[in-house]
Amino acid sequence: MSTFAPPATDVATHCPYCALQCGIRLDVADGAPRVAGNPEFPVNRGALCIKGFTAAETLDHPERLRAPLVRDARGELVPAAWDEALERIASGVRTTQERHGRDAVGVFGGGSLTNEKAYLLGKLARVGLRTKHVDYNGRFCMSSAASAAIMALGVDRGLPFPVEEIARADAILLVGANPAETMPPLMQYVQEARASGGALVVADPRRTLTAQSATLHLRLAPGTDAALANGLLHVLVRDGLIDREFVDERTEGFDAVRGTVATYWPERTERITGVAEGDLARAARLLGTARRPMVLTARGAEQQAQGVSNVLAFVNLALALGRRRESFAAFGTITGQGNGQGGREHGQKADQLPGYRRIDDASARAHMADVWRVAAHEIPGAGRSAYEMLDGIGHPDGVRALLVIGSNPVVSAPRALHVAERLRALDLLVVADFFLSETARMADVVLPSAQWAEEEGTTTNLEGRVVLRRRAVAPPDGVRTDLEIITAIAERLGRGEWFVSAEPRDVFDELRRATAGGVADYSGITYDRLERGEAVFWPCPSLGHPGTPRLFAERFATPSGRARFHAVRHGEPAEQPDAAFPYHLTTGRVLAQYQSGTQTRRVERLTRIAPEPTAELHPLVARRAGVADGSLVTLVSRRGEAVARARITRDIREDTVFVPFHWGGMESINRLTNPALDPISRMPEFKVCAVRVEPHVPARRAEVA
Amino acid sequence: MTSANGGPIADGERQRLVVIGNGMVGARFVDELLARGGGERYEIVMFGDEPTGNYNRILLSGILAGSHAPEDIFINPLEWYATHGVTLHAGVRVGSVDRESRLVRGDTGVLEPYDVLVFATGSSPFVPPLRNMSGHGTETKEGLFAFRTLDDCARMLAHAPTARTAAVIGGGLLGLEAARGLLERGLDVHVVHLRSHLMEMQLDPPAGELLRATLEAMGVTVHVDTETSALLGAQRVEGLAFADGRTLACDMVVVSAGIRPNVSLAIDCGLVVDRGIVVTDELRCPGDPAVFAIGECAQHRGQLYGLVAPLWEQARVLAERLSGRVPDAVYTGSRVSTKLKVAGVELAVMGDQEPASTTDEVVTYSEPSRGVYKKLVVRDGRLGGAILLGDAGAAPMLLQAFDRGTALPENRAELLFQLAAAERAAGVAELADSAQICNCNGVSKGDLVAAVRGGHCTLRSLCEATRAGLGCGACKPQVQQVLELAAGDAVRDDPSVHWYVPGVPLTKAELVRAVREHDLRSVSAVFARLAGGREDAGSKAGLASLLRTIWGKDYDDERDARFINDRVHANVQKDGTFSVIPRIFGGVTTAAELRRIADVAEKYAVPMVKITGGQRIDLLGVSKERLPDMWRDLGMPSGHAYTKAFRTCKTCIGSEFCRYGVGDSTTLGVQIERRYQGVETPHKLKLATAGCPRNCSEATTKDVGAVAIEGGQWEIYVGGAAGTRVRKGDLLVVVDSHDAVLRYMGRFMQYYREHAKYLERTFDFVERMGIDRLRAVLVDDVEKICAELDAAIDAAAEAYVDPWEEATAPVHPSQFADLLEPIGPAPAAAWENR
Repeated sequence: MSTFAPPATDVATHCPYCALQCGIRLDVADGAPRVAGNPEFPVNRGALCIKGFTAAETLDHPERLRAPLVRDARGELVPAAWDEALERIASGVRTTQERHGRDAVGVFGGGSLTNEKAYLLGKLARVGLRTKHVDYNGRFCMSSAASAAIMALGVDRGLPFPVEEIARADAILLVGANPAETMPPLMQYVQEARASGGALVVADPRRTLTAQSATLHLRLAPGTDAALANGLLHVLVRDGLIDREFVDERTEGFDAVRGTVATYWPERTERITGVAEGDLARAARLLGTARRPMVLTARGAEQQAQGVSNVLAFVNLALALGRRRESFAAFGTITGQGNGQGGREHGQKADQLPGYRRIDDASARAHMADVWRVAAHEIPGAGRSAYEMLDGIGHPDGVRALLVIGSNPVVSAPRALHVAERLRALDLLVVADFFLSETARMADVVLPSAQWAEEEGTTTNLEGRVVLRRRAVAPPDGVRTDLEIITAIAERLGRGEWFVSAEPRDVFDELRRATAGGVADYSGITYDRLERGEAVFWPCPSLGHPGTPRLFAERFATPSGRARFHAVRHGEPAEQPDAAFPYHLTTGRVLAQYQSGTQTRRVERLTRIAPEPTAELHPLVARRAGVADGSLVTLVSRRGEAVARARITRDIREDTVFVPFHWGGMESINRLTNPALDPISRMPEFKVCAVRVEPHVPARRAEVA
Repeated sequence: MTSANGGPIADGERQRLVVIGNGMVGARFVDELLARGGGERYEIVMFGDEPTGNYNRILLSGILAGSHAPEDIFINPLEWYATHGVTLHAGVRVGSVDRESRLVRGDTGVLEPYDVLVFATGSSPFVPPLRNMSGHGTETKEGLFAFRTLDDCARMLAHAPTARTAAVIGGGLLGLEAARGLLERGLDVHVVHLRSHLMEMQLDPPAGELLRATLEAMGVTVHVDTETSALLGAQRVEGLAFADGRTLACDMVVVSAGIRPNVSLAIDCGLVVDRGIVVTDELRCPGDPAVFAIGECAQHRGQLYGLVAPLWEQARVLAERLSGRVPDAVYTGSRVSTKLKVAGVELAVMGDQEPASTTDEVVTYSEPSRGVYKKLVVRDGRLGGAILLGDAGAAPMLLQAFDRGTALPENRAELLFQLAAAERAAGVAELADSAQICNCNGVSKGDLVAAVRGGHCTLRSLCEATRAGLGCGACKPQVQQVLELAAGDAVRDDPSVHWYVPGVPLTKAELVRAVREHDLRSVSAVFARLAGGREDAGSKAGLASLLRTIWGKDYDDERDARFINDRVHANVQKDGTFSVIPRIFGGVTTAAELRRIADVAEKYAVPMVKITGGQRIDLLGVSKERLPDMWRDLGMPSGHAYTKAFRTCKTCIGSEFCRYGVGDSTTLGVQIERRYQGVETPHKLKLATAGCPRNCSEATTKDVGAVAIEGGQWEIYVGGAAGTRVRKGDLLVVVDSHDAVLRYMGRFMQYYREHAKYLERTFDFVERMGIDRLRAVLVDDVEKICAELDAAIDAAAEAYVDPWEEATAPVHPSQFADLLEPIGPAPAAAWENR
């Protein structure tokens, strides 16, 4: 044991929020836990954002749920014993499945769940409930990037290299990403790159904090990302700035892409994207003359009905830029949720089994059947994607009972009013959470679960680095861990023999066996190695294996070992502005809030900074709508309306309105967003739909609410 | 089988679809159709009269100008057709269409039956009737060209090198682009235009006149109101004759007098043809449900289109319809706008150039001296048309407003200029007090303002007081802005950041001057004279270093001013023991030296012997009092691994043994290390030499590095780093001898000694100075100080005494007595430079 080990009152663990999974030290010496950055953890190197600093305030929060709630005869949620709550769930599930079949029960997970929970939740669906319907909110987050990465690179890992690589890049293109507000500690690497003379190009309809610090900001119209990528590649081809050697040796399919980008000459690209030709040429030159160019995408490009095409177009760009002195192309996607990466690897996705295996792959099914001790044919096939599962509620073959863990779809799903209406049509809604979220309020049974610092577990950050969250404090009385909840439900349904332990270490050991031989192979990763502070990146197929920080150093994960170009054209967003709804709406995050706000809206220091949603309006839009700065506005789309406070700024395009999505009720901007889905990833089009802007008339609130 | 309406088709049977035309619209249509699963519904046959696949005709001007290569403009190369199961008759012109029996006959005799026929025959250049057009017989005269196809381009490019003067007939868009291309190829270019101003189809007279002036300024001669009547010359073009009797001598003529739709085939087979092939909103030819037309040959609602956006829209609509995806898709016309680059002049044109009624509003802005002209036609609060010449900055926004018909701002002036760029750096002044400035530590503008009012009027003290800027540091510029805003005149540019050491309120230059002026030869003398007698522990080491640089041997060495390492010439370790690193020049050693080191390690029971990253051998875990004996037994000079000085020069194996080496980096490294060993510098200095650009010794990330390149030359890099921060060094100069490497390295080191702050590494120093300035001073000698620098570094090098000689002559008796002196903390960097 090292003499430097901290006393038990100072626990090295990780922030509960975003995909960086910053190292923190949690000082629990005198009752009220305090958070400090952990300078020894290489990803954040001690830096934290305000969410991380205040993360401990959710632990002992007065609004914590401390007992299960069940809906009584009068329709009220009232406290109940665990036994009663679990029995209510078991009998409800049993009844539903007897009457309507096993697939009438659905499971909805989340990208914040630890690897162990994601794994066991998927298993609960397939082995415990024996339903095909399991999906999760990561479908709203990473699915486009994941599909594109698999198609082009053969495997989906947010960054195929450690974050330090960012500091070494001498030209970075950030597409639809705003890390200065969403992931501040990541910016130190961008700044290092800048300090060494590197260029930063940001493509975003908004002049975000990140864009403000850029060498060049490409202010593209929402929904035109693929056109921008193709236009940049056109200029690179024209000016002889592609890395021909890399393209010849390590990729395939370039010729078809060359033909496609021949149709994106600068004037046309400007016309589509609104990015001036001069800026396009400058961006291409910055990237094309760099020795170590890097292309990173995030939700801006991905959360669209053409999200996969958008990402593929930027992968094309990265592959064509190659990497003149290195052996792999620098493309990455900045994963969003805390365990966005691990959450999509372990089987809570409708079409996947643990280890990033495909559910329709016979050998994958045979392997899992062996690990789960069931027959391969007993493992259900692919179910519906997240939005489709919710949208299907109430239809003859839709789910009638739904178990939600670690997610708040009433706020986070597109077309939220419709989703809420669908949830109301359920026979049984069960929600496990630590606060009474908007979705939990609608539930028939609410189960109080333990939080990040109250239980052990692993997460996988955006680099594919597996980190260990340690237990630092005991959960409040009356609260159970998600693993205990999952196990208890399985037991009540008579499937207990397949769910023998709710101990994170035991579950992780099973997960290791489950992933062995898979794409995301964790079999060589152990709690021991993580406790020793080893940095382990998957795949790690054996105990002696060092892990794989650089995924594509030797070859890409495609059958040929070569990365694949895909010729893609841009398409129009599913909904374009017109006379009735004249502006694009785009949504995103602010620094002081996180996702649906279930946690962060309860942290006083954060709500002081960001108390309510603000609608960013260009002065022209505000003037036309007759809206003053700081007044309330009503935003209306074909699907609903929401209220936000006007913030008049020239940082937004004159044809676009931006509203963050962290709030519920009338403040939920997802009441307006469009559930048009990407044909491949089934990602909804959060990032662009058509709206109009009106001054808010208070009386209307009652009518609509 | 059913009609082409997209109804169901018989099992397994595909209809035959024949497309006449393989240009930008025909091929685009087939591409769109295939993307919608049309391959399952149709067996597709195409005719194209060019022998190639489909290329982007719009980029031909780029090929002429040399900006694009021909292979870069292909959209569908020939392989594409085969891969996608499309039969292409390339280079085959269609001779006739028999609609009765639904047959298309190629001029090679090939017969293709069809169920559905699409005309995408495009258009051809219009060549006005001129006298003396042909050369031999019916051959076109040598030197006369149209500008429509890749082949036209190739022929022009083959001819251009033999020509000196080119005349372009036609001052429309394409003609001007041809003129630009030929100008780029070095020809003397004339544009001959029939009308009174250029591009009369798109521009109003003032804009056309301004464009003419701009082009003439670029070297194109423009002749307006000029009608060409004849070509001069027998076999090849020798000039033009104009209707007014004037002539123009030239040896190349490009005719670009407009285009005409290719409709003769349609006329021959009895389709309704006006100016173009008439089509309905279904893009169908009236009277024949199996025949459609799209592209430049089609006339829709009386309109012919020549721009790609509406034509591709037609291709998309027809693909939607024929694939059955959207069986009732219709085309209802397009708003026409375009952005052109004419001869490098930015020009965007859309919609109407003149008001259509008295209610239309016209906004103009003209600045002839800069060649800027802007004109907008506003109709019902929306954009009816625009000309933006010379400054298309507002074009992206206006084009999108035009395309979508969005409402315009009431203040029309805003339309003429970029809407977003206006207040580029609105800055922190506009922010509310609640606005977050520091994201990492959650510090708002209000928090900062309060701290400033509380007296924190320097950036450093403001950051320390609020924690702003202490996370990722990104917000420091904004913190500085808030400071300036809140403190107003009270803002203090924290003077101490410019001081050489914190305890003496002088910059380095001022300090050096004062030391010389007052003849201050010891650290205590400096404190007494320049710091009011207040001794500052944190400043001692820096002052000692500076005094040694100034006075060399004549410096009064007060040992307590030195950090422990410098006092005992060894590197203190965390357990209080020391390490001994003898110098191994350039990492090159001998068996005898190694044996001696081994003997010493055994004799003194050294706990760890380690090879360092700088190619030396480290004997670790030595107690202080044994140091002198060890040095004596080693009989090797100090490796200076403990102090702020020249440390080591790492080398690769260079050209003597290495297969790749192009320069003798080993010998050079030994020379450098022998020359500059022990020279004191503001912070440690690590060097390397690499025998080739493979850079095995990592010379580009050293403080100073030399990399051999072909031709016996050396690149000298400065300011590299590979520590907590990684930075590639900046290239200072390329030289061609070892002596020159030594000279420039020494010169840089001396400049660094004289101008860097204490504990400022070269990578910060180089960044602070800027490599351009360093090059100007050290290579171009703009300050005329190179000779002084060279002399100073030579003196410093020659004054070098091996400190380990103190082993035989301790400076004071207790110098190496253990525990007599407490080990002080290492001096932290006095402040962060970044």
